[in-house]
Amino acid sequence: MPSEATDRVVAIEMNRGPLLSARGVDKHYGGVYALTDASLEVGHGEVHGLIGENGSGKSTLLKILCGQTMPDSADIDLEGAPLPLGNPVRSLVAGIATVTQETTLVPELSVAENIVLGRRAIRRWWGLDRKASRARASEVLDRLDLRLDPRAIVERLRPDERQMVEIARAISMDARVLILDEPTSSLTDEEVESLFGVIRNLKERGVSTIFVSHRLKEVFEITDHLTVLRDGVTVAREAIADLDAGKLIALMVGKQVDHKPPAAAPAAGRTRLEVSDLAVPGIIEDVSFEVGAGEIVGFAGLVGAGRSELLKTIFGLHPSAEGRIEIDGADAWSRGPRQAMRNGIAFVPADRKEQGLILPMSIRENLVMAHTARLRRLRRPPRRREVDQLDEVVANLRVAGATGRGGAPISSLSGGNQQKIVLAKWLAVDPKAILLDEPTRGVDVGAKEEIYGILDRLRTNGPAILVSSSEMSELLRLCDRIFVMYRGKIVTCLAKEDASETVIAHYATGNN
Amino acid sequence: MVTQPENDPVNEGRTRQLASNSLRSLTDASFLGVLLILVVMFLYFSFTQSSFLTSGNLTSLLTGVSILFVVSIGMTFAMLSGGIDLSVGSILALSGILLGKLATDVGLPIGLAILLTLLGGALLGGLINGFFVGIVGLSFLVVTLGTNILFRGVVNLWSNTKTTQVVSPFLEDLAFEDFLGLPIAVWIMFAVFLMAFYVLRNTYFGRDVYAVGGNADAARLSGINVGRTILLVYAITGLLSALGGVIQVARVGAASPLVGETLVFDATAAVLIGGTSFKGGSGGVVGTAVGVLFLGVLQNGLAVSGVQSFWQQVVTGAILVIAVLIETLRGSERISLGWLRTRGGGRQASR
Repeated sequence: MPSEATDRVVAIEMNRGPLLSARGVDKHYGGVYALTDASLEVGHGEVHGLIGENGSGKSTLLKILCGQTMPDSADIDLEGAPLPLGNPVRSLVAGIATVTQETTLVPELSVAENIVLGRRAIRRWWGLDRKASRARASEVLDRLDLRLDPRAIVERLRPDERQMVEIARAISMDARVLILDEPTSSLTDEEVESLFGVIRNLKERGVSTIFVSHRLKEVFEITDHLTVLRDGVTVAREAIADLDAGKLIALMVGKQVDHKPPAAAPAAGRTRLEVSDLAVPGIIEDVSFEVGAGEIVGFAGLVGAGRSELLKTIFGLHPSAEGRIEIDGADAWSRGPRQAMRNGIAFVPADRKEQGLILPMSIRENLVMAHTARLRRLRRPPRRREVDQLDEVVANLRVAGATGRGGAPISSLSGGNQQKIVLAKWLAVDPKAILLDEPTRGVDVGAKEEIYGILDRLRTNGPAILVSSSEMSELLRLCDRIFVMYRGKIVTCLAKEDASETVIAHYATGNN
Repeated sequence: MVTQPENDPVNEGRTRQLASNSLRSLTDASFLGVLLILVVMFLYFSFTQSSFLTSGNLTSLLTGVSILFVVSIGMTFAMLSGGIDLSVGSILALSGILLGKLATDVGLPIGLAILLTLLGGALLGGLINGFFVGIVGLSFLVVTLGTNILFRGVVNLWSNTKTTQVVSPFLEDLAFEDFLGLPIAVWIMFAVFLMAFYVLRNTYFGRDVYAVGGNADAARLSGINVGRTILLVYAITGLLSALGGVIQVARVGAASPLVGETLVFDATAAVLIGGTSFKGGSGGVVGTAVGVLFLGVLQNGLAVSGVQSFWQQVVTGAILVIAVLIETLRGSERISLGWLRTRGGGRQASR
């Protein structure tokens, strides 16, 4: 519709005000205020960062913008016209499109079909007009300079390519504001770069992006302005040029966070965990290593390099695995979680909600679940002692929001605090080896630093600590040694002083 | 545009959150709405029908729901664990036939016959349903749908589709004799309720049931024996279905192959109306008791009022859908229901 397009250009010329402006956004859930008079202002063709800790109200604000949640009150204008609230379809039509962490693509369909999904124009009375779909899709892909085959099946695409398809779909619906919620959490550094290329491209076309990420480095690289939310209140709107990491973190957590230098590695203890010739057909090949008591070793590698699979295998989750695993010189081969736990192994899975926690159950019940798993099942859980245990954990690990609320569902805690409970649950079994897969995924900077502190302190108890992470900075911060994996093999072992992001990336991409 | 970072919104938010906790624990009991309707309904029938609030009628109401009650308690275990047992009606019928054979044909003492029948129900549920669902890992819907048909076939073959009389003074007492003013069947119902309540609330096994229903993956990774838990859950469902079968035989004085064919629908409805989630992991037997009493009072009240009994079906169905709708609305900010909330007023009103 050309007339509409020209209207828009005119509107841009005439209207020097912001493209999107939200003021006085209030929202409460029960008695809990998620947002109190929050505001957000995004200019034309601007990449705008939306930053805040877990539980600061970011997600709620985004959901309100795209119509998934009805605010208590809000004043939201898009291009000077009021945005209809609480209606996802109308938000989309108005020009606000969202690309979230969970992909909404249909994996079995092609790129083109996904891009035009649900559009009426492409439908004929006998069904879908494939040719027209493909033409429309290619046109959008070209506009974004994306080299994707419209006929490719989405299932076979890389994670970043899938995200491109989602962005293309949003753009094909004439989105004016694109919301990217944690778009980089599952991407490698290279894939992040190509995503940033697309964002810059959109910016040139006057499409604004709201960029949400916990990774401050990326925020500084891509955004022009940013809005900081804390406890449901907008605490700052600043140009990125006026900020540095220290200032930004201070704004986010409301105080200065001191980045403590990691505790010095203890004198290499005796060997705690020894893994030899471990193999899982098609996944892990011939992996051998040793971990000392109180040592933290890291596993780096691209998604699919086998680092989380390696941890799962040690925990006994791959029945077809072969090899030898010893703890303190005794056989610790496990054919399932129960046997692994008997052998003194603990596993903190990457996906907190899917595998780490039982969301409908209480904080207390989640906390004690692992270390009581071997007790007689008809015994009565000692509620008083569990409350004491929770109080201790809350005090030691600073779990905000859990004081005196052991009976409340675990889902009422924010992400970082949930993760602390998951950690505490596994520390309670007093493991000889603890395996952590992405220990700080989706956790804000403050909680991240606290979790690192917990792991540092754990060294003194003397378990072997294994960390798999896609964030190199995390491994560099935590680990005494870093194993880099590529296609199921350990390609190198780097001592702390030899490791850097460049070196890890070099080995992780298959160079030697 | 910096709004004073000096004031401390963190602590403010915390006190607000604490205030909402007591409220939350109350609204968490998801059967409260139905309980309210139950009370209103009870009062309505009490005031409008003189024959409703009489000890005779209330006793017959309780006795009338006793079979549904014990089976629904079993069904609550299955649904809390994230499953459902579609074979409860067939197990009930099969247990009745088994009891008749053991007591009449084999000539066992009635006490022993009842014990063996209960054991048989637990074994059918545990070793067939529970084994295939929990240990082999097949879908609970497919397995229990299949065994429901299979058990019913066995019932018809074994009984020759004939109802046989089971004469036993002990069984007669069980159905009709009073103890401390209430029929023994009602005491059995109370006992089952208390035991189920204790097991679910005060044992690690009870927690396992909730954990497996809430998130089987996480439960397994926490070292919980998920397969064994599911096996035991279906054994309990089978055991309580068999108990229902025993009460059935006692009340009719005969073992019939035709009983329990629609029982699974009533039991499932009672559990869902009682607020147990069909996804598993939340709910409990208190809600189920409310759900069963709801069905019982509705049926009895309408009968006493002389209203056609089909109205009971209309009301039950409507309440069931509304109960599940409320649960879904409360459980999540669903997009698909967004329009429902916008109706209240697209609040651009502050301008």
